[in-house]
Amino acid sequence: MSKKAIMQQPDATKEPVHKFERFHWTQRVEHAILLTSFSLLGITGLPQKFSTSGWAQGLIGFFGGIETTRLIHHVCAVVMIVLGIYHILDIGYKIFVRRTRLSMLPGLQDVKDAFQAFLFNLGLGKKRPQMGRYTFEEKAEYWALIWGTAIMAVTGFIMWNPIITARFLPGEIIPASKAAHGGEALLAVMAIVVWHMYGVHLKRFNKAMFTGKQTETEMLHEHPLELADIKAGIAERPVDPKTLRKRQVVYFPVAGVLAVAMLFGTYGFISGEKTSITTVLPISNPVTIYVPQTPTPIPTVSVPVVPSGTLSWDANIGIIFQAKCDLCHNASLPTKGLSFATYVEAMLGASDGPVIRPGDAANSKLVILQSAGGHPGQLSPDELTAVKIWINAGALEK
Amino acid sequence: MRRDKINLRLKLLILIVGFGLIALAFIEMINPVSASPATKIIQNTVQAQTGDPDNSACLFCHGKPGMTRTLPSGEPLSLTIDSSHFGSSAHKSVACVECHTNISTFPHPDLQVQSQRQFSLEMYTICQKCHEDQYNKTLDSVHMRQVAAGNTNAAICTDCHNPHTQPVITDANGGLLPNARLSIPDICARCHSAIYDTYKKSVHGAALTQEGNTDVPTCIDCHGVHNIGDPTTNAFRLQSPQLCAKCHTNAAIMNKYGIPTQVLNTYVADFHGTTTTLFEKITPDQVTNKPVCFDCHGVHDIKKVDDPVYGLQMKTNLLKACQRCHPDASTSFPDAWMSHYIPSPTHYALVYYVNIFYKFFIPTVIGSMGIFVTSDIVRRLIERRKGVKHG
Repeated sequence: MSKKAIMQQPDATKEPVHKFERFHWTQRVEHAILLTSFSLLGITGLPQKFSTSGWAQGLIGFFGGIETTRLIHHVCAVVMIVLGIYHILDIGYKIFVRRTRLSMLPGLQDVKDAFQAFLFNLGLGKKRPQMGRYTFEEKAEYWALIWGTAIMAVTGFIMWNPIITARFLPGEIIPASKAAHGGEALLAVMAIVVWHMYGVHLKRFNKAMFTGKQTETEMLHEHPLELADIKAGIAERPVDPKTLRKRQVVYFPVAGVLAVAMLFGTYGFISGEKTSITTVLPISNPVTIYVPQTPTPIPTVSVPVVPSGTLSWDANIGIIFQAKCDLCHNASLPTKGLSFATYVEAMLGASDGPVIRPGDAANSKLVILQSAGGHPGQLSPDELTAVKIWINAGALEK
Repeated sequence: MRRDKINLRLKLLILIVGFGLIALAFIEMINPVSASPATKIIQNTVQAQTGDPDNSACLFCHGKPGMTRTLPSGEPLSLTIDSSHFGSSAHKSVACVECHTNISTFPHPDLQVQSQRQFSLEMYTICQKCHEDQYNKTLDSVHMRQVAAGNTNAAICTDCHNPHTQPVITDANGGLLPNARLSIPDICARCHSAIYDTYKKSVHGAALTQEGNTDVPTCIDCHGVHNIGDPTTNAFRLQSPQLCAKCHTNAAIMNKYGIPTQVLNTYVADFHGTTTTLFEKITPDQVTNKPVCFDCHGVHDIKKVDDPVYGLQMKTNLLKACQRCHPDASTSFPDAWMSHYIPSPTHYALVYYVNIFYKFFIPTVIGSMGIFVTSDIVRRLIERRKGVKHG
């Protein structure tokens, strides 16, 4: 406590209006940053651990999706790491420059205090333990925080930089880190809810971390040994300005180098590796989508060989008409009265007259129609040529 | 006189209402609401056929082999209907004129189409007359979107279902018959033969084509039927693990082959699976390179994991799979992924013991805190009752 506080201490007969400074403003700022980053880490981290449940998906959706959730988590992690670096340097200053009492160090007395407190609660002890600047509850919480942060930072690094990790350690360490990170997170959040919430908010709303001050009554109840030390004037170990300056000259450069080294390490933590490619990969073994099979050829009747030599109905021409015309022009379905079933019927022609004029292919209706093309029973060019020659030669039956 | 007029009007009214009711009843009779569209058409066909030729008249000519018509494009258009195939097809009792609505007289009206494809494209919309549900589903499909965009190669109804030969493929409950299942890849292969060639060499395709195994997926199990979606979209990618999981979490199928069913939950529990699952839930269209099942196991070329050449159980193959996205990965990196194992003393023991540690450590610590806090609360309540000031 500052000297000022001791000097201003009021007369014992009067009501203690004076307040003792418990936390320096820098400590309170530290706490505020820790409170914010821890809460955000918890609220963005736990939904990732329980990502299959509805509440987790709701929260992640609220943050704007898993990528944003991870980004918030990563930013808060870095804030907490930097805060940790500041804390190390601050503790270093207190240890090496100010040489204050190491009131946060745990000892056997704390175990005894805890035991005594528990026995008292059970009604087996006569009184509560008398404790100093930091009670066993506060020490337990502080060291749990230090231990937890260290585990979270190491496992977090491994998950953030899996490729670098796997270069030196077995790959299995990565899922193991994930398991530890999740387990430790759950432990930390639950401990905060049970221990911290009860200890400083429910038991009695302890505003010291926000106002920085405690009344003498509060001090008497919670930190009687510290109050006694303050009153005895041995709480502080004042350093004369000359010695202080001498120590600072040594500490500041060392701390500066340490700070740079640790911040550089943090930078490496963040940008150590590009875990994976950022582009979208094409699907492996790409295949051409449209590769049609050759369609089964449409079955056609065997087209009669284009006749050669003597042309006559019986020898060769009749077969052509059978194959190409019979479907619609046959004895039972003489379309337009025309049938090619026999030579006689073919020569008779359609209901509106003959279609074959022997000796005059050019004026035969059959040739005119077939030459125009597009008739359902279309003769091939060779067949049509043969038919023309046959007609011009007199359209003989034999 | 006046009274007579009123009577006459009344009689007329009764007469009109009466006839109206009879007419309504008659319409109800010939149009039973419960009949499916397909049955309704057949019923209507029977009635409407009086003026139209029945199928025997058409098959008299079109039953003859080799009837073709050369189209302006130079392609032949087959006009022959194989009556034995048609007679055993699903459409055997449908009248030809039901689909070929413009042909009811002889000689037939001139064919206006230029090519075989144009003929099919003009004809297939008639299918919706009886198969409205399926037709409407196709409107949403990747094929129809291609057709709409002018790609005439994209599949239409008749490319998969030849209306003159299409056999019955479903049972009474609408389920696919086993033989129909086996023939599905052949149908898709008509246009996607390169994919088919890959598929038939895969673990699924080989089982189907060589062993006649109907447990394995055919094309439509992943791609759907009629409303076949675009498999290259982000949404398809993100929901694809559920597609694989449909069979791979089904113990009834997997136990037959000794394949574990915990493949989905182990995937979802890991970084990649957690991310893709959350994307799928929160932003289903999200672009992502996070791997889904097919990125490691393959798409149409899925192999057994113990395949000596391609299997992912081979560490070198797994490393290659990792390196596609993590180019700097070293040989121990693939162990970062637990290969669908649930940690146990034999597989990923470190992870197993870390989990065990926290399983006991968390209740121990929080429990102890809880006991102390409870004792403190009780003590303070007692003190308050006694009026002792806390300290």
